[in-house]
Amino acid sequence: MVVGLSAAERRYLTDGIAQGLRNDGRGLYDFRAFSVELAIIPQANGSARVRLGATDVITSVKAELGRPQASRPSQGRVEINIECSSTAAPQFEGRGGEDLSLELSRALYRSLLCNNGTGPAIDLSALTVIEGKLCWNLFIDGLVLSSDGNLLDVLAIAVKAALSNTGIPKVEVTSAAAAEQEADFEISDNPDDFSGFDVSHVPVIITLTKVGRTYIVDATEEEESQMSSAISIAVNSAGHVCGITKRGGAGLDPSVLLDMISVAKEVSKSLLSTVDAEIMAAESRGDDQM
Amino acid sequence: MALEFISPEGLRLDGRRPAEIRQLRANLGVIDKADGSATFEMGNTKVIAAVYGPHEVQNRSQQLLDQALVKCEYSMANFSTGDRRRKQKGDRRSVEISLVIRQSMEAAIMTHLLPRTQIDIFVHVLQADGGTRSACINAASLALADAGIPMRDIVASCASGYLNNTPLLDLNYLEDSGGGPDVTIALLPKLDKITLLQMDAKLPLEMFEKVFELGNKGCVAIANYMRNVLLENTKDLAFARGVVKV
Amino acid sequence: MLQSKAFMKKTRRGQVVKVVREHYLRDDISCGAIFCQSCEKESACLSSSAPNILIVDTNVTLHHIDLLENNAIDDVVILSVVLEEVKNRNLSVYNRIRALCSNPMRRFFVFANEHHKDTFVKTMPGESPNDRNDRAIRSASLWYQKHLGQGPPILLLTNDIENKRKALQEGICTETVQSYVESLGRPELFDLVAQVCDSSLAEMDIEDSRPSKKKLIYPEHRPMSEITSGLQQRIFHQGKLRVNRYNPIEAYVNSESIDEEIIIYGRINMNRAFEGDVVAVELLPEDQWKEGNTLKLIEDEEDEVEEKVGLAPDSVDAAPTSLQAKPGDFGSKIGSRTCGRVVGIIKRNWHSYCGSLEPMPMPAGVGGAVNALFVASDRRIPKIRIQTRQLGNLLDKRILVAVDSWDISLRYPLGHYVKTIGDIGDRATESEVLMIENDINNRPFSEQVLACLPPLPWSVSQDDLKCNYREDIRHIRVFSVDPPGMYQIREANQMIEEFMLAANISVAEKILKHYPLCALLRRHPIPTPKMLEPLIRTAAAVGVKLDITSSKSLADSLDNALGNNDPYFNKLIRILATRCMTQAVYFSSGELTPPEYYHYGLAAALYTHFTSPIRRYADVIVHRLLAAALGLFKLPAVFHDKVQLNSLADNLNFRHRNAQMASRASVELHTLIYFRNRPTDAEARIVKIRSNGFIVFVPKFGIEGPVYLTPKAKDNNGEESCKNSADWIVDEEQQRISTRDGKRVYMVLDVVHVHIEVIEPQPNRSKLVLTLLK
Repeated sequence: MVVGLSAAERRYLTDGIAQGLRNDGRGLYDFRAFSVELAIIPQANGSARVRLGATDVITSVKAELGRPQASRPSQGRVEINIECSSTAAPQFEGRGGEDLSLELSRALYRSLLCNNGTGPAIDLSALTVIEGKLCWNLFIDGLVLSSDGNLLDVLAIAVKAALSNTGIPKVEVTSAAAAEQEADFEISDNPDDFSGFDVSHVPVIITLTKVGRTYIVDATEEEESQMSSAISIAVNSAGHVCGITKRGGAGLDPSVLLDMISVAKEVSKSLLSTVDAEIMAAESRGDDQM
Repeated sequence: MALEFISPEGLRLDGRRPAEIRQLRANLGVIDKADGSATFEMGNTKVIAAVYGPHEVQNRSQQLLDQALVKCEYSMANFSTGDRRRKQKGDRRSVEISLVIRQSMEAAIMTHLLPRTQIDIFVHVLQADGGTRSACINAASLALADAGIPMRDIVASCASGYLNNTPLLDLNYLEDSGGGPDVTIALLPKLDKITLLQMDAKLPLEMFEKVFELGNKGCVAIANYMRNVLLENTKDLAFARGVVKV
Repeated sequence: MLQSKAFMKKTRRGQVVKVVREHYLRDDISCGAIFCQSCEKESACLSSSAPNILIVDTNVTLHHIDLLENNAIDDVVILSVVLEEVKNRNLSVYNRIRALCSNPMRRFFVFANEHHKDTFVKTMPGESPNDRNDRAIRSASLWYQKHLGQGPPILLLTNDIENKRKALQEGICTETVQSYVESLGRPELFDLVAQVCDSSLAEMDIEDSRPSKKKLIYPEHRPMSEITSGLQQRIFHQGKLRVNRYNPIEAYVNSESIDEEIIIYGRINMNRAFEGDVVAVELLPEDQWKEGNTLKLIEDEEDEVEEKVGLAPDSVDAAPTSLQAKPGDFGSKIGSRTCGRVVGIIKRNWHSYCGSLEPMPMPAGVGGAVNALFVASDRRIPKIRIQTRQLGNLLDKRILVAVDSWDISLRYPLGHYVKTIGDIGDRATESEVLMIENDINNRPFSEQVLACLPPLPWSVSQDDLKCNYREDIRHIRVFSVDPPGMYQIREANQMIEEFMLAANISVAEKILKHYPLCALLRRHPIPTPKMLEPLIRTAAAVGVKLDITSSKSLADSLDNALGNNDPYFNKLIRILATRCMTQAVYFSSGELTPPEYYHYGLAAALYTHFTSPIRRYADVIVHRLLAAALGLFKLPAVFHDKVQLNSLADNLNFRHRNAQMASRASVELHTLIYFRNRPTDAEARIVKIRSNGFIVFVPKFGIEGPVYLTPKAKDNNGEESCKNSADWIVDEEQQRISTRDGKRVYMVLDVVHVHIEVIEPQPNRSKLVLTLLK
């Protein structure tokens, strides 16, 4: 993303960070305030919109029935696909957003499911309907509508929120007797008959962006334009690091890395509790509307 | 048995009468970084539009010396339809709709006032339930106004169709898939000029007249709604800047 | 006001999708009362003088539609939630209730409760759709009660105990149908009340309701979920049940999931399925397939196997297909064929049936309700038990009866009286019966239809003369060649037929050229060699070789099949030929490929019906197409609508077939009347050899029927013995049957002498019987 900053502006920004003071008045490890809305895409099984500063993303979860992979007969599959809408920036027009979209999709996938797709964040065995025959596959779609930095962290929050909003329809298996038989099922008559999703293990992502010699969390687009490198660390509620992605061109000193991880773990504690609180608030707002 | 789209009591499947539009909702300034933006909802159809510009022409070879270059891109979110599908950008349908939106907007924008500039219009369908073209045009129109681009008139669009021997206004997806004709109109209401007219399926001429007339009325109603939204938005802005006091 | 409806739907491809629809609530929905001060009155019909304004629930509408149709019931509110449920459960009842609502003579009002802001109810967590809909009905009733406070009291009719209890609790006046009808004090209405074995209504239990005595006669139907999965696994097979017209305890099911036709033998195996029901069938173990023959008479001795005497089919259109003819074969071997039993009924085909009550003595006492057995004139329909308070009036009448339910503990289904048609045996009544049986509407045209005609007296106006698409041909002499007694102009006749065919063909060409996708044409499928097999075999047996390579060659070889000085020989061969073919049908050209347009019987590449618009609706359609093709009129919208056009063609075929059946039935009726007091001997020709006799055709009267060589003797156990195999030898190839000693030999097309007389084996059901004269 091209942010046109003058030399003086650049200097002001980097010097400020070096002294622990950011342009918008935040400290180095402060997150901007964010809001969560749930169930904003009614056709999806679960969805959420998260706005953090001027960054605005929508994520949806759609569950589809399918056959489990032969290698993992008792697990469903999760796909994550992020798209950067050209409404967020003219650069995303045409194929302009593809590289970033792919980078974000892969980083999220790694954090939630590991490279082999069996990460602990989502209980994939809960998606099984009939072992070896029928399972739910989750398709997580994210759309970046507006961007002011820190997309990955916001998307991770939105995925967690959308999963917490996801209801998997209850199906009754009507025939599965013989091994050769095609599995058949009926949907429950009752539209309220859903099984919910446990999201307590879904991590948040803390991206630490290095500007000069200092690193900051939740960088704005302006700040990101001055970064040398960044590292995204996924941490879950147990304080476990679930995934790390290094981004940006410049190299990183290994000793700083460990330091960054411990900062991320620290920041994640308050972020996780804020995320949970926001999701809960959004849920209760949703109930009021009913 | 064919689906009964209108009951003998005169109600459509969703409870509307034949000449009624779905519930409209619009919001301006929804994307901070954009010069102008808007969401527009017609029932369960929801689109977001962003306008960037007027700015320098990116590709100099496309620069026009006497007027602004208007570009438009239409895309659909993966989750916008009931059956989830990877929506590829730049398929033929999207390219066609992009073109249609650009042409209807060009008719309204006073491009001659902004030579050597480029105006980008991006529309993204968040939920599709019939009438996406119209919703896109309405959203784009509001986003342009929000961006302060000089326009001759607002562009308002609405679709109409013909099912069970009755002209119907603003078809939803279910009605759209009923196999009847679908007429999409975009109108410059003050100038009373049509900037877009599309129809699929065949329809005898005298019925077309009725359907067209109904669609036209729909456009006028939508234009009135959009004008109110813009007016309210201007009042809010004026209030926020302390120009007026309540 | 906007509500969103979301529900999960299983798609055909086995996927689950979430469907979200908008649902608008309104404040401009009229209550339909003429006396209402606040609502719009354009379509209002509920009157202030009514004793009650009735609201009926779904089951009452479904089961008591006959009662609702009676003029005594009026000022009824039909809620849209009820309509929707009725539509999903029984389309024919839905059409009837819709007809009531649109009938200006009746006061039935449709209230769109689902879209009214004050009567819409949202499903509560854990609430079943049924409970939610019942609540919606109560909510609407309550609203009416408040809204029309000053008018006649609102009365909710429901037979559901739970719904009734809740309604009373909420302060809604409610009654069961039975108690309401009783309160009207009109005993004749009581017969119309449906007899439903409703477990929730203990007092409704009729017949032998003493629980200890309740004996199960039929197996339970399997639950729907089991049936669905059984069908999936091909343990069960789905198909339409067709009952053998000549042997009602034998039925057939053709299922896509199995190549062979499944035979259902006996009432227990048919398990309460009716003719035309869509059923799920389970195959019997193969060792039971052979027992089919012995099963039949143990179970139901009053039904006997017989073949009915009827008219010979005389045209291509009247010829039954080989498939339809097969069930009629008497003495067919069941042992070798696939047998099955009905395990569930997927879709009922219940409607009203014509017939009469089984004679019974008048019970002592007056005015009480009596159980009577109804015997339908269609032999495929089982007897139906009805309750009546007017037995004396009904015993000698043809009546219409509707089926309501069939419990596993009851030998016969329960039904209720709908209406009286007339006296049994009366020509007009019996004609009316066959009209009803074939679903032919012979009511006078409605006011709306007559309003389309120009006022009388009519004369040619100046406008008519100026009209550019009409021509005045009054100066040309036109004459008719139909008048009786004009046999000498037979050739002219024939010429007219040729002109007619030529006109039809050229119109077919013209409309197809202009409208290749929506021309209404008529085709006659080419018979397959298999279908012609019986014909070739019979012909070969009498030494005639038929060439079936084309319709032309077949026609030529039929022309040459003259026999030796036998005037009827050729006619008989032709009759046999026609019955091997399928019917000609109407279709829309867009549905088929040009080679399939072929009309085999007329050897024409294209054909349609154009020449008789005053007596055939198909011709009217074709006239409209032609007028549009000539640019005189616009093409009507129906031709743009593929679905509508196809259903039109289907309906034309359906009506055409029904009209033919009715016409045959009418001739049969008159044949019966003719022979009633006139037993006759006549010459007959054998047309088909069977294992225990043969089928003959009586040229003089045009009737056809079976002649049994072995008398149907009953042995000591009351069982029929079929000794035919011992006494008679059948040679299928040669189409001959002979005694063991070879003294008596009958061959196909042989001349025999038969005695024709009318007997009445069962009361009120006479039939024609042919017996062989020595």
